Amino acid sequence: MKIVRHNLAIRFVHWVTALSIFVLIFTGFGQMPMYKRYNVDQIPGLGWSSDFMVTLNIHYVAAAILIFISLYYITYLIGTRRWDILPRRGDIKESIQIFASMVGLAEEPKNRKYLAEQRVAFLITAVSVAMLIVTGLIKVYKNLPGVDVSASLVFWIAQIHNLFTVILLLSIIVHLLAFLIKDNRPLVSSMFTGQIDRAYVERRHELWLAELAGPAIATEEKALIVEETEILEKVENKEESATGESNETIGDCEAIEENKVIERNEITADLNTV
Amino acid sequence: MAITRRTFLKRAALSGVTAAVVLSGTEKAAAQMSPHQEYATIIDLTKCDGCSHLDTPACVSACRSKNQPRFPQPEKPIGDYWPQPFHEDWSDKQQIIDRLTPYNWTYVQHLEVEHQGRKVRVHIPRRCMHCDNPPCSGLCPFGVIDNTPEGAVVIDTDMCFGGAKCRDVCPWGIPQRQAGVGLYKKVAPKFAGGGVMYKCDMCIDLIQEGKEPACVAACPNQAITLGTKEEMRAYAHRWADENQGHIYGDLENGGTATFYLSQIPFENIDQAIKEQENDGKPGRPSMEVGINNPLDEPGNMAKAFAIAPVAGVLAAGLSVYKIMQGEEQHEDSEA
Ligand code: HEM
Ligand code: HEM
Ligand code: SF4
Ligand code: SF4
Repeated sequence: MKIVRHNLAIRFVHWVTALSIFVLIFTGFGQMPMYKRYNVDQIPGLGWSSDFMVTLNIHYVAAAILIFISLYYITYLIGTRRWDILPRRGDIKESIQIFASMVGLAEEPKNRKYLAEQRVAFLITAVSVAMLIVTGLIKVYKNLPGVDVSASLVFWIAQIHNLFTVILLLSIIVHLLAFLIKDNRPLVSSMFTGQIDRAYVERRHELWLAELAGPAIATEEKALIVEETEILEKVENKEESATGESNETIGDCEAIEENKVIERNEITADLNTV
Repeated sequence: MAITRRTFLKRAALSGVTAAVVLSGTEKAAAQMSPHQEYATIIDLTKCDGCSHLDTPACVSACRSKNQPRFPQPEKPIGDYWPQPFHEDWSDKQQIIDRLTPYNWTYVQHLEVEHQGRKVRVHIPRRCMHCDNPPCSGLCPFGVIDNTPEGAVVIDTDMCFGGAKCRDVCPWGIPQRQAGVGLYKKVAPKFAGGGVMYKCDMCIDLIQEGKEPACVAACPNQAITLGTKEEMRAYAHRWADENQGHIYGDLENGGTATFYLSQIPFENIDQAIKEQENDGKPGRPSMEVGINNPLDEPGNMAKAFAIAPVAGVLAAGLSVYKIMQGEEQHEDSEA
């Protein structure tokens, strides 16, 4: 069984953001006189990289794309009210616990759709991108003909643009390093296909599973729709294959179902106390 | 050189001092003092005779002696710009006056130009044009080239890292680099930066004192004049109309604070510079007519920044609508 983790809109946002940011970083560094000095422009196909005007124009195009996709994402978040990625109270503490669990010093906490540490990282990334867009727009403005901006503003804006470039770069490196950890690997294919194994979610994102069921927990039926279909499938299969044991199996299934309901109620209780 | 508040601020930024510490009253005073008047110069090529009687043209000597105290004094030995096997060192060639160098911020081009079937001698004092929308300043990664209210474009030599990007993006390749001096020495001299860039600063200090730039004062023929930008532009156009002459610097690079006046078309002059002056190295600027400002193209693109966010919101609105509808249908079918 698969569960949808990243719908098409999110995958669109993710990969357009990633692509535009990589281009922005490359052409941004190209705004400093280094590709000629370090012979980057000697690499076949990269002859253009030391031409400031070429890289600046590409920087502008990629910046416009980043602004487009950022506004798309903000509208998406507000429109769908899917706040899973936004930090919550206690996330810092929980992140520390997650890091401790990685070296075996603690147990990984029960997770929602995203780990606390992912939510914190998201905030850092989002703030960096926002700051880069704001300072970038000021840079664009000051480069317009006939616009005079005070030298100290230009200087500070450049420093902030550079500072957040470094912060964003570090956060992306950490983001990518995370996928060196085997346990995070299934997320990568999900960022392409959108889907993830149910078993993975059960193991690592228990609270998310509960949320997915949503208000259905109260009615207790919807909460188990997924499991029920699964169990029914299983039952049908078994019924088809082995007739003698079918009663027993159904009994088993009912027991499982009951357990699940109890578990879910516990989780709901947990959630309510949070 | 006295530390102005700006350089102080910049230093504070690099040394990590917060802005709060430096919010003193000094800048207010400085701001009130500076006459917020835009200036420009006219260089009348019909009056310049290249000071043929002198070894060094008067404007060049005046410029050199005025700026002598600010010339770079590199510590030797100077390292190469790793991994490149060279560095730009003019300290042993300070006497050179036939091109722009870190020790020679103005020079005179002596040319033979074709005009109406005759060869005419033309002398052209060359230096920074002090552009209206200077790409050198706009594109400095450290933001340390100041486009002053007076119209002078000034490099902060204390903060310059010497990457020479300003020279690359200047349509005339004006700023020149000296290695072995400046801020980069204190950071990672082997790997980043390359010295300090030097060029004419319009004698901004003299202008702020209400005086003329050194070259203007020195010229025996009044070939160079300083005035307010509007006066100078009006004069240039009047002169060109009356004499069927030509102006260089009014439109070039999107407008500058230097108006060259000539009886000979600048196309011919540019041709002569390319044939007689150009040695493929920086420091011998051409005079391409109508040369574009490299910032124009990105400037046109700036419209995209108004469209992008609107497009983003609209596209997302559509997606959200579809998703929410899909969800409803989903729930309906499940119920
Ligand atoms: C992930 C996002 C971005 C990164 C990593 C990035 C990085 C950089 C870097 C390293 C530079 C060179 C240093 C400097 O001049 O400060 C630069 C320059 C510049 N950036 Fe960005 N940038 C980003 C986004 C943007 C955006 C969204 C805009 C415009 C809306 C923008 C506009 C500019 C401009 C105009 C320059 C040219 C230099 C100048 O005019 O001073 N950047 N960028
Ligand atoms: C500029 C570079 C990148 C940025 C700014 C970025 C940012 C993000 C953000 C904000 C999320 C959370 C998205 C959401 O579900 O709402 C995310 C998730 C993810 N990203 Fe990236 N990303 C970048 C590059 C990459 C690259 C190159 C990969 C390739 C391995 C990658 C793989 C993933 C995966 C697998 C997830 C899903 C994590 C999960 O579901 O828990 N990202 N990224
Ligand atoms: S002439 Fe070159 S160095 Fe002088 S202001 Fe214009 S772009 Fe800058
Ligand atoms: S501008 Fe004046 S000082 Fe300079 S070379 Fe010409 S005549 Fe001599």
